[in-house]
Amino acid sequence: MTDLEATNPLRDPRDRRLPRIPDPCALVVFGVTGDLARKKLIPAVYDLANRGLLPPGFVLLGFARRDWEHGDFEQVAKEAAQKGARTEFREDVWQRLAGSVRFIPGSFDDDAAFDEMAQQLQDLESTHGIEGNAAFYLSIPPSMFPVVLKQMERTGLADNDKCGGWRRVVVEKPFGHDLASSKELNSLVDDVFTAQDVFRIDHYLGKETVQNMLALRFANTLFEPVWNTHFVDSVQITMAEDVGIGTRAGFYDSAGAARDVLQNHLLQLLALTAMEEPVSFDAESIRTEKVKVLGALSLASDLERYAVRGQYEQGWLAGQRVAGYHDEKDVPPDSTTETYAAVRLGVETRRWAGVPFYLRTGKRLPRRVTEIAVIFAKAPHLPFADTDTTELGHNQLVVRVQPDEGITMRFGSKVPGSAMEVRDVSMDFLYGESFTESSPEAYERLLLDVLLGDKTLFPDHEEVELSWRVIDPLEEFWTGTKPHPYRAGEWGPRAADEMLASEGRVWRRP
Amino acid sequence: MTTTLWDTTGSDVVNALIAERRTSGAVASGLALSLIVVVDEKNVPTAEEAATVAAAAHPCRVLMVVRRKLEADDRLDAEISIGGRLGPTEAIVLRMFGRLTLHAESVVLPLLAPDAPVVTWWAGPCPDRIAYDPLGVLAHRRITDAAVSSDAIAALRARADDFAPGDTDLAWTRTTQWRSLLASAFDAAPTGERPRATGAQIEAESGNPSAALLAGWLRKRLGVDVELTSSAGPGITEVRVQLGEAGELSITRPDGRMATLTRTGQPDRLLPLPRRDLGDLLAEELRRLEVDMVYAEALAAATDTTEALSTRAPERTHVWRDPAEQAAAEPDPVAG
Repeated sequence: MTDLEATNPLRDPRDRRLPRIPDPCALVVFGVTGDLARKKLIPAVYDLANRGLLPPGFVLLGFARRDWEHGDFEQVAKEAAQKGARTEFREDVWQRLAGSVRFIPGSFDDDAAFDEMAQQLQDLESTHGIEGNAAFYLSIPPSMFPVVLKQMERTGLADNDKCGGWRRVVVEKPFGHDLASSKELNSLVDDVFTAQDVFRIDHYLGKETVQNMLALRFANTLFEPVWNTHFVDSVQITMAEDVGIGTRAGFYDSAGAARDVLQNHLLQLLALTAMEEPVSFDAESIRTEKVKVLGALSLASDLERYAVRGQYEQGWLAGQRVAGYHDEKDVPPDSTTETYAAVRLGVETRRWAGVPFYLRTGKRLPRRVTEIAVIFAKAPHLPFADTDTTELGHNQLVVRVQPDEGITMRFGSKVPGSAMEVRDVSMDFLYGESFTESSPEAYERLLLDVLLGDKTLFPDHEEVELSWRVIDPLEEFWTGTKPHPYRAGEWGPRAADEMLASEGRVWRRP
Repeated sequence: MTTTLWDTTGSDVVNALIAERRTSGAVASGLALSLIVVVDEKNVPTAEEAATVAAAAHPCRVLMVVRRKLEADDRLDAEISIGGRLGPTEAIVLRMFGRLTLHAESVVLPLLAPDAPVVTWWAGPCPDRIAYDPLGVLAHRRITDAAVSSDAIAALRARADDFAPGDTDLAWTRTTQWRSLLASAFDAAPTGERPRATGAQIEAESGNPSAALLAGWLRKRLGVDVELTSSAGPGITEVRVQLGEAGELSITRPDGRMATLTRTGQPDRLLPLPRRDLGDLLAEELRRLEVDMVYAEALAAATDTTEALSTRAPERTHVWRDPAEQAAAEPDPVAG
């Protein structure tokens, strides 16, 4: 940035109106016919184009095993953009984008298709003024990674020097299924590309409220002084979904809630909540602090009590009868895969010694909600009669990640009247809904960051590996056990409530 | 929810606002600023629409001040709405009659969101000197629009003469997308070396203030002469920059929607560059409330002002001016 500002006479650090626009580049999407590409990626590309944030030379290249003509893909992409775009759909914007949409049919072991892709990318220099810059989005199952990456290595697609520009790769979770496999995957990706060109997407980190967590903590004086074991009683991080597994049985049954959500989203949220202040706001400094927290995580020794997993049974949710996990399509009837996981973690640092971090995630819970609740200790002394404060709970600061993004503070307040009575009240800051109409979708933001080469919001391989170090012992402990059943539409199995009750706490109802 | 008060007082409006907030629940509790909109009765719908769009992006309390006839009995009518037709924001439309129009700040001051920045936007012509309007004096940021004036270039000059840090103009906001495209064209230097500009031309509708500001900006940043020629419009239609041996860079937008980026040695590219609506412009203005030094430089360059505008004092002192006395002193030129 400073480099550009020094050499480009039209840039000025004081000129805050001008956005950064990426260099002319191509975005290559593998698995472009998949759900993610249609629901998220293509709409995000359209939204970026509509907001004028794509470079003048930009090409979207789709790759998939379909017998499609070029026009077919264009039609599918257009429908996806119309359906999923956040901003208004404008025909002329699309027409311009459609002019730079390409499709290459082929399977991943098809040498000719990759040669063709290499050739097409090379041709873009003369047709679109794109000097070798390309980002490859691997929207494909991880089992396909090796063969695709080998192809890229063979054709030199991943080679920065050979192509004369930058080459970046974007991978989605799951980043492996345990420490060993993630190491293998990481070294494979890092070998073919260089480590700094690998972007691991955790779309939670693209959300405004998650980034706002850093602003809340480090831009204010109000919160940081109490953000430690002296004032914090416990932290609860929840990601609840009301949906079931839908059509993902194939993947989900081999992964489960801990691998699917706990390992990435929840541990990343924990890291942002617990990390020390980074020395500056660049990617490297933030990463350093996150790695320190992830490296300091500890599991309880009594996993029987402090690591609970569950599986939903049939029940009623939001006024509808829903099937149990075993009755979902393609789920083996004897499956012991968990659809709910709750765990108590410790952060072994001076700041957090003795503060439990309770993490939970599950499917078919009463509502879709993700939040981080910092629960403060009770006042050491209350100068009121016991009966005055029976309704006073813990002070809380809740960061609502989704939906209804915002922050809630709970504190005690006097009930109006002649008697002294204190009761909990909530103070709300609404970040979301009405006021974020114009704030970008997570994928929009993250795609733009990839094209700009900004890694601040992307976990790197060390973070991923440290996270697996936490999950692996859990999975090992759970092997051969059966998950606790819970009814669809309730807040998880009884055992999870008992886990908190044993320490005199209760789950917050989000 | 909307409450309408006829022939009311400032204090009653404050009370009605508090009551309205109570009954509507805790909406808009994240107020980031107060936006005062100074507007004529005929422009109220346009201004409301723009303010609603802008307020959706930036939580604010909108205070619309409509100054009606000076020759009337003093009267205040107010309409308070929360989460109503003006979107999720708190909006109060204040209609003032008689001598009250000269003391609008007395109604507005108690209605400002506590300790939040104040932005005043004239959704029509602004006074020759902002200091004449107390609603401009109390604001941290003042938004004018030279384009609404019949002689926009003269209006720009007046803005430069009257400039204080914290002033900004929608004519400048309209250049953002052009500037953004030009800046990114300069980022992408194919040979690895930054091109040096040797000359530049802008084509635009005659008397377009945005073109003048864009020319001022290019002149200041590139250190070259910028030639302004007129075209049929709409708005700015073409910008060309000569880059010495590297050839020429041009952006043309004949239809006000799509632009073509042409550069020597590279294929042409089509880009969306639509003219933006008022709400969008206003939202951009509210995004950042710090002093826009780059605008000050461009304004100075556009009006050949040699003084460094950004070093002026940011505060103004209200200058009392009574239109009734003025009318008596200098008879209406049309009537006379």
